[in-house]
Amino acid sequence: MSDLRNAGKYYWHYLKKYWRGFILSAVLIGISTWCIVVAPTYLGRAVEALTTYLDQWLNPATRAQASLGTFNHTLVIYVLLYVGDAATIFMAGLILARVTAHSTGTMRVGLFRKMQRMRVKYFDTHSDGDILARFTSDLDNIFNAMNQALMEVLLAVAQFVGILIVMFNQNVTMAWVTMASTPVALIIAALVMRKAGTAVNQQQDDIGQLNGYINEQITGQKVLITNGLQQDSKRGFDKYNQRVRQSALTGQIWSGILNPLMQGMSLLNTAIVIFFGSWLALNGSLSKGAALALVVVFVNYAQQYYQPIMSLTSLYSMIQLAITGARRIDEVRDQPDEVNPVDGGRPDGIQRELKIDDVHFSYLPGKEILHGITINVQRGEMVALVGPTGSGKTTVMNLLNRFYDVDSGQITFDGVDIRTFDLKALRQNVGIVLQEPQLFTGTIADNIRYGQPEASMDRVIAAAKQANIHDFIESLPEKYATQVSDEQSIFSAGQKQLMSIARTILTNPRLLILDEATSNVDTVTEAKIQAAMDNVIQGRTSFVIAHRLKTILNADKIVVLKDGAIIEQGSHEALLAENGFYAELYRNQMVFD
Amino acid sequence: MKILMPYFKRYHVDVSIALLSVLVLVFATLWQPRLLQVVMTAIIKNDQQTVLREGILLLGLAVLGIAGGVINTIYSARVALGVATDLRADMYAKIQSFAYADVETFSASNLVVRMTNDINQVQQIVMAAFQQITRVPLLFIGALILAIVTMPEQWWVILVMMLVILLASWVAVRRMTTYFAETQQDIENVNTVTRENLMGIRVVKSFVQETNEISKFSQASDQLTAVTAKIGYWFSILMPIFFLTANLAVGVAVYLVGQNITAHPAYLAAITSFVAYLMQILYAVINGGFLMTFASRAFISIGRISEVLVTQPSMTYVASEDETPLTGEITFDHVTFTYPGDTQPTLRDISFKTTAGAMLGIVGATGSGKTTLAQLIARLYDPDSGHIMIGGVDVRQIPEKRLRATVAYVLQRSTLFSGTIAGNLKQVRPDAQVSHMQWAANVAQASEFIERLPQTYDAPVEERSQNFSGGQKQRLAITRGIIANPEILILDDATSALDARSEKLVQEAMDRDLKSTTTVVIAEKIASIIRADQILVLDAGRISGSGTHQQLLQSNPIYQAIYQTQKAREEAVK
Ligand SMILES: Nc1ncnc2c1ncn2[C@@H]1O[C@H](COP(=O)(O)OP(=O)(O)OP(=O)(O)O)[C@@H](O)[C@H]1O
Ligand SMILES: Nc1ncnc2c1ncn2[C@@H]1O[C@H](COP(=O)(O)OP(=O)(O)OP(=O)(O)O)[C@@H](O)[C@H]1O
Ligand SMILES: [Mg+2]
Ligand SMILES: [Mg+2]
Repeated sequence: MSDLRNAGKYYWHYLKKYWRGFILSAVLIGISTWCIVVAPTYLGRAVEALTTYLDQWLNPATRAQASLGTFNHTLVIYVLLYVGDAATIFMAGLILARVTAHSTGTMRVGLFRKMQRMRVKYFDTHSDGDILARFTSDLDNIFNAMNQALMEVLLAVAQFVGILIVMFNQNVTMAWVTMASTPVALIIAALVMRKAGTAVNQQQDDIGQLNGYINEQITGQKVLITNGLQQDSKRGFDKYNQRVRQSALTGQIWSGILNPLMQGMSLLNTAIVIFFGSWLALNGSLSKGAALALVVVFVNYAQQYYQPIMSLTSLYSMIQLAITGARRIDEVRDQPDEVNPVDGGRPDGIQRELKIDDVHFSYLPGKEILHGITINVQRGEMVALVGPTGSGKTTVMNLLNRFYDVDSGQITFDGVDIRTFDLKALRQNVGIVLQEPQLFTGTIADNIRYGQPEASMDRVIAAAKQANIHDFIESLPEKYATQVSDEQSIFSAGQKQLMSIARTILTNPRLLILDEATSNVDTVTEAKIQAAMDNVIQGRTSFVIAHRLKTILNADKIVVLKDGAIIEQGSHEALLAENGFYAELYRNQMVFD
Repeated sequence: MKILMPYFKRYHVDVSIALLSVLVLVFATLWQPRLLQVVMTAIIKNDQQTVLREGILLLGLAVLGIAGGVINTIYSARVALGVATDLRADMYAKIQSFAYADVETFSASNLVVRMTNDINQVQQIVMAAFQQITRVPLLFIGALILAIVTMPEQWWVILVMMLVILLASWVAVRRMTTYFAETQQDIENVNTVTRENLMGIRVVKSFVQETNEISKFSQASDQLTAVTAKIGYWFSILMPIFFLTANLAVGVAVYLVGQNITAHPAYLAAITSFVAYLMQILYAVINGGFLMTFASRAFISIGRISEVLVTQPSMTYVASEDETPLTGEITFDHVTFTYPGDTQPTLRDISFKTTAGAMLGIVGATGSGKTTLAQLIARLYDPDSGHIMIGGVDVRQIPEKRLRATVAYVLQRSTLFSGTIAGNLKQVRPDAQVSHMQWAANVAQASEFIERLPQTYDAPVEERSQNFSGGQKQRLAITRGIIANPEILILDDATSALDARSEKLVQEAMDRDLKSTTTVVIAEKIASIIRADQILVLDAGRISGSGTHQQLLQSNPIYQAIYQTQKAREEAVK
């Protein structure tokens, strides 16, 4: 039931702004229901008029007066009522279709917006495919349900209210009798819906996992093929696929049997009305004839009374999917946002110094990765971070950009804790070339100007030249207009890194971070862009992580990290003289014997 | 639709039960009004006996209806899920038989949508088919016959009504088919943008591009919204048209009866039942019409699914389950290769030969074709011309399992799958014991950090191995590459994120433990390949030189240039 409450809140959130549309369509549907209720009486009157006409016509004495005028007249009203019904239903349909499409659109964009606000940690620990399933499966289910159920719900409510009014106007006792089985129906419905809710929740979660598996495996198809893992991958897939089959079967069955059950209840109710009505006719205060006529009428009502319930329950499996969809999307909406201070300061580069002050950090509680890191950087200095793999270099970078926040200690720009800055303003000051480059669907030019979409073509080309990728781009048939995407890029691994460098150069950041930015680039090209990079780095505060020590020889300061702690610090010459860990690293790499 | 038939056949028992229960349901539906009629007549006549008897029969009918409905639901669901599950499994199997180029052509994001959203559409329509579609024609035919029997003169009114409704449905279905095709396409676009943002979330955040990404996404999403709105509009036109047509038909019929009532006075009494039958026809037709429009979405999806199912893998292997590895000898004989869709060849006239157990180094500028060459050894693509031989056999003649058992390939950007470390290693070598894992991890210098993890080899791996550092990922990938002790090991820049010391240790361990393995090492660092028996220098897709380090240092200007950039500033440090 808490799912139901949640779903209620969720839809209220997204639908409340369409209240005018809902009221208007409710009114329209009310009118249409009225038309539908009234129209049959006109058919009755038409038949009556026809009977009179026939009688008169058959009687030679009155044949002259016999006229079809009343009959025709009534029939026209009958048809007009249905025109009214069609027109109002059509208008209500248009309004609701619009509401449905736009509100699901808002939900979709809302979910994406939320995604953009969430912490990096969420993405590091959740499967992409499962998140994607919320966009493609859950939102699609919500759309389908709203597309069909909104109208039905309103119609059902109108019909239900209509029939109640009519019934109580006729006879209060019989009205109560007709409603007598309702609590039983409600209890059955509640029980079934509870089962169905759990089952459909399970079903959608399993579909999410299946989606996650497929997405990850197909994204890694190259690994599967080159290792001959296709059979193995199929086996893994079968497990998820069968699990979905099982849980979806349970889900579909539970949500599907509600309708036949209610159909049965409807017949049962009719029987009750018949038996109780006849008993009443025999023992009641009404005259027998009137009582019997009443029973006949109420047998009809009993059927109409269950009609709205049945049309709703026939859509129930869709509705349940929409309730579950709301829950799954809410799960994401409940994730914590990145912490962004209100009225945060806007740093203007680093005027004096950047300080990493006794920083402790752990990705997982209890497993500390950085154990008290302290680094002071003066404005315009280039600091190199070196150390064995896994020592925490990338982690330090993650903290500077606030992808993650420190456990204790602080990072300051000119003495101001970066956590007090506006998050976006901070990141605008920090340019980072990530260890693993990532391109986006679009042209090459779009990718280079990714950080500043309004940048001119001249700047794009200048950045590409500095990153030494211009010549390659020019060799492509469509040059800068070539369409690329991350998976179908026409770049080699090194070229992709060069693109990534060009992209960062273009944004001209105040603090530059290069995390193994050229690890896949050959050393000749690297040497060529070194000059350009030197230019870029010149006068800019920068952090450079590199295993190829050649690229960091000019650093003002080299910091050696090992197992999350700083073990050496100083210039290249000083560290060589120290003849410690760094000197050993350097000899390993640079000396060809 | 045809592609679904074999799947239905597979579930013929469930299909039959679902259809039989529909019959029970139709019987209950058609019988119930008659029974009610009898009961009501009896009530009016105050015939207690009949009321009791027929009333109990009505209860029996209720039970029958419930049973029919429940059984129908259960078996329809079984059929629908059986078909969907099998279809999905076959699709996945098909994708797994694809060559890499085929996966690239479809794109991963696209395939994922087809396997989930499109399959779901099919599942829903199959479910609806067994619950509804079979019921519709029975009810329709019954009502049609009764209506015509009641007023034979009015046959053309019924005909016109049906024609109008069918015409409206036909127009709508045609329209909606294009809209539904657009819908699936738009869902795919939404998926692509989202997926890209999930993978590149750090780039988005560090460039502060959230707002632009949102507007990019909104564009994709708005297209979807627009087309779904159009679908909604069509639905909202359709229903009133159906009802209006039917009621106009009733009006016309009654009017005509009225004009000729003097000729057929008996028709006066028949009006009510005629109207009732018209309405029943209408409900049947409406149900059919709506199901058709839903089906049109499912048909689009079926089309998209069969596109995958009928694709022939662009590369085939000789059929054989032979898994015995070949020897590790590699020969390239005048190999030229162009990427699908490219005009210029990426590799031109490559020829070389290595003996089993040797070490082959490949160096060259970024984009010179090193990875491409390695991919040809692993047969991710086939060359345009020339021959590639492994153990003396043309790769095109090597059965797939045999090829994979011979060649292990550590990709340039290699990741493990989510799960555990051991799970990943066991994928490649199902019989792997902890001792094997330790051996491989020792060679790859990965045991150093694996053994410090609380769960060691059972430590969790997140998607994209996100919870490991760059160098750790690479060492895990190398571990996976060597655990099966392959004849040929390709390391494509697989140590680029390793520090010099770790890298040196990896090399030493490989020299010691993988003596008989042919290793192909692609590297930017001379230090990585300096000991190779043969080094190829690639330049813009051609071999510009080949030989040992010393030879190349003497003769090859490109190699010399690479070497120059890597020499220590202080040659003296020793
Ligand atoms: N998202 C994460 N969740 C949990 N642990 C992580 C995560 N990212 C990194 N780690 C762990 O933190 C430690 C430091 O990783 P980091 O990426 O900072 O290393 P690094 O110095 O950059 O190494 P490399 O040179 O290999 O890139 C490693 O032991 C790694 O396993
Ligand atoms: N899938 C592809 N489709 C089309 N062209 C491609 C594709 N992959 C690579 N290329 C092109 O082929 C050329 C060679 O790429 P390759 O990946 O073999 O280079 P590489 O030598 O491995 O470079 P790096 O040192 O950067 O890894 C590049 O110019 C690249 O643009
Ligand atoms: Mg790192
Ligand atoms: Mg490469």
